[in-house]
Amino acid sequence: MSPPPLTLSAPAPALRTAHTRIAPVLRHPVTVGVLAVVLAGAVGLGLVKGAGTGPAVAWDALVEGMFGSSYAVGSSLNSAAVLALIATGFTVAHRAGLVNVGGEGQLCAGGLAAAAVGTTLPAGVPAALGVPLVLVAGCVAGGAWAGIAGRLRARRGTSEVITTLLLNFVGVGLVSVAVHEEALLRQPVTSSETLPQSAPLPEGARLPLIGGVESPATAIVVIAVVAAVVTGVVLRHTAVGLRLRSVGHSPAASARLGLPVVRLETGSLAFAGAAAGLAGAALVAIAPYVLAEHFSSGYGFSGLVVGLLARGSLTAVAAVSLLFGFLTNGGINLQLAAGVPASSVQIVQSLLVLFVAAAMFTTTRNGRAS
Amino acid sequence: MNTAAPALEISGLTKSFGTTRALEEVDLVVESGTVHCVLGENGAGKSTLCHVVGGSVAPDAGGLRLYGSPYAPRRPADALAAGIAMVHQHFSLVPTLTVGENMRLLRLRDLPRRVARVREEYGLELDLDARVSELPVGVRQRTEIVKALLREPRLLVLDEPTGVLGPAGTDALLATCRRIAESGHAVVLVTHKLGEVARAGDAATVLRGGRVSGGGPLAELPPERLVPLMIGRPAGSLDAGLAGTIGLAADGDSPEAGASGSGKTRAGGPEPAGRALAVGTAEPGGRAEPGGKAAARVTQALRLRDVSVRRADGTSALDEVSLDVGYGEIVGIAGVEGNGQSELMALLGGSLAPVAGRVELDGRDLTRAAPRERSRAGLGVVPEDRLHEGCVPQLRVADNLFLGRLDRFRRHGVLLDRRAMDRAADSVLTGHGIRADGPGALMSSLSGGNQQKVVLARELALDPLICLAAAQPTRGLDIGAVGAVHSRIRDAAAAGTGVLVVSSELSELLVLCDRITVAYRGKLLGPVDPAEPDARERIGALMLGARASRPGPENTGHTPEALR
Repeated sequence: MSPPPLTLSAPAPALRTAHTRIAPVLRHPVTVGVLAVVLAGAVGLGLVKGAGTGPAVAWDALVEGMFGSSYAVGSSLNSAAVLALIATGFTVAHRAGLVNVGGEGQLCAGGLAAAAVGTTLPAGVPAALGVPLVLVAGCVAGGAWAGIAGRLRARRGTSEVITTLLLNFVGVGLVSVAVHEEALLRQPVTSSETLPQSAPLPEGARLPLIGGVESPATAIVVIAVVAAVVTGVVLRHTAVGLRLRSVGHSPAASARLGLPVVRLETGSLAFAGAAAGLAGAALVAIAPYVLAEHFSSGYGFSGLVVGLLARGSLTAVAAVSLLFGFLTNGGINLQLAAGVPASSVQIVQSLLVLFVAAAMFTTTRNGRAS
Repeated sequence: MNTAAPALEISGLTKSFGTTRALEEVDLVVESGTVHCVLGENGAGKSTLCHVVGGSVAPDAGGLRLYGSPYAPRRPADALAAGIAMVHQHFSLVPTLTVGENMRLLRLRDLPRRVARVREEYGLELDLDARVSELPVGVRQRTEIVKALLREPRLLVLDEPTGVLGPAGTDALLATCRRIAESGHAVVLVTHKLGEVARAGDAATVLRGGRVSGGGPLAELPPERLVPLMIGRPAGSLDAGLAGTIGLAADGDSPEAGASGSGKTRAGGPEPAGRALAVGTAEPGGRAEPGGKAAARVTQALRLRDVSVRRADGTSALDEVSLDVGYGEIVGIAGVEGNGQSELMALLGGSLAPVAGRVELDGRDLTRAAPRERSRAGLGVVPEDRLHEGCVPQLRVADNLFLGRLDRFRRHGVLLDRRAMDRAADSVLTGHGIRADGPGALMSSLSGGNQQKVVLARELALDPLICLAAAQPTRGLDIGAVGAVHSRIRDAAAAGTGVLVVSSELSELLVLCDRITVAYRGKLLGPVDPAEPDARERIGALMLGARASRPGPENTGHTPEALR
């Protein structure tokens, strides 16, 4: 029973891959999407069976976790917003021909800076000042983190794929160090049970809720929507968007045409970092309002997957982020209510990506050959 | 020659791509022991024909027979198995490997014996230990041909083999073709240059718009009759520059041609006329400029002083080169490729910095300026590699035209005014006679000639335009486009712009330029005045490194690449 909801939303990213050339029915994006969903769903069904749960029970738990309450919807929306921010940044860098696989590290850098700024703010800071400060700190830190890779590329020609990837480990490590050292960000240790995490942010630095007291949805949802829309308009309708595209397609020709190639590349990578850093700041400024060791919960990598699947379309970024955001929360409930490991949802998600990616690979390869 | 059945017999071959008919009812007979030329402008269907013969494209209708037996390849491997070897325009060599390693990739048995046989039979020498990336283009092509011959093919198909070769390389290649044919095999030479046909071919088939427009033994088909078949209008209507580019005017008597020239070449009648025309159009331009070159102005449109460029491996790509291009003057740079021309263009374009020397535009130092500053200062560059540097094929024509000047098209302050861009692009398309499916068409959907016209239009639109540097401006273009590009260049010069043309087509330079220098091993030799009667011979000699004062050395047998 588990495939149906996937069928509804999964073809959206695949649709974007539609090229005008006539392809055999099997290679049609819709067919690819449907096939991927069916295959991934079948595996999911197998995993559910393997966990000894009835499909109907698992399905109910999944749906409950996704849409069952305003709490479920709210936290799903928060997850989706975080993913959308990272994927939006990825899309911008990708437009300039760069692949930012450093979302996780940039997220960590952003979270770290947000926690550092947030915890130093006085307790009575007004929200109008505290929230922007925390978010801007995350943006700047994430942008700077990606900027390291950008500079290395500009100066030394180092591939940003490698540098951003490696900076992930540094970022994750830094968070871990910071929350374990009292001299850094760890909350004052009062007993042996004091968790290795930062002190909570003051009231004025916490992201305001937007869906009433029942729902944990915060302002980051609005910010993510605005960011995606503005980015979409900029990429599609402004000179900057066209320049980025030109650089992405042909750096050599763009340089010849007088475009500031290095600045555009570095800038787009820094933007990607800033978006991920913003997402990191948001994760710190959402309940429980602390920076903890695994606060990123792999969002950096999931955001990368969303960006890859969306293939440059911000509409698809929104759609895939929502899908993944809701599925993640559904998966948590799957574990809590039905005893099926939440990782099975992750497996299904990953398989989905794998199938779609494999199909995309064959279509582009054949396209080039003809 | 030895068998009764022809080497290759094609009958009623038809192939469509979508709605366009690439080939329609094409019949072609290649006798064994001959060099058969397939002629046609770009887009006439030559490449498709090659692909069908090579097995990479399946025909819609029609049949092929190879030495009498039916032949229907489904994939390139079938063609190889049937004894057909193809040499494509773009090489299939691994640049980081040596020549010998590239040959070992073919996985042939008794490779040394085969190499020795090719060397003996065709006189094709190769240094097996040389790294391909370090070889000049001519030698790479020789490697490619040797690779094809190692399989001992019965039929060798060469697709536009001379596009990348200088005159000497072309002559060596044509001599090789003749030798292969004389050994009893057959060669199909696909080309759009008539000069080559006249020198090497036994018979020809002319394609126009996917159909066979004529053909027969070349003894009965002088170039005057081939041209109308190719372009659909009489040869007399051709501008001399065009004639030069397709090789009509090329008499092939460059000194190194002695070995292969043979009696088939004719001293070109159109040539003197060509020179007169070039001089006639370019000269007034020079004088129209107030205080032009006669007044010996202190500044030049473009001035290079003792410029040196090193390659990555430490060798000298440009060695203390000095060059002046006056206002309204067209200066040509001839030479076998790989003698520093690409580095010179990269230097002018701003993608390469010299280790020493100065580049001045209109008296202003641009040695280390970014490409953007160069464009602003008025240096237009038409790069050699159109698709990788000249334009962005994935973007629209309008985008390509105005990418450097997007600030002019604004809407509500921040948005891009696409409609205004399209209107402006539309007028450029009309003004330059560019055939495109509107300004919104993708650059990649344009033919090579129209792409080049877009690039040229963009660079010519610079304001101010002090100097235009164009590399291989007409490579791969059909005759109509060549004419358009040439007249644009002449117009620019007439308006006082200094023009630098780098070309491997000597005939083109001879009709276009006021002055020709020759690139040889990173030096510029000459200059030679193209109006002088022995200009061609002197340039030919300089291409081999002779001193400007001395006539060409007696050079038999080996190509200039072999000298390197």
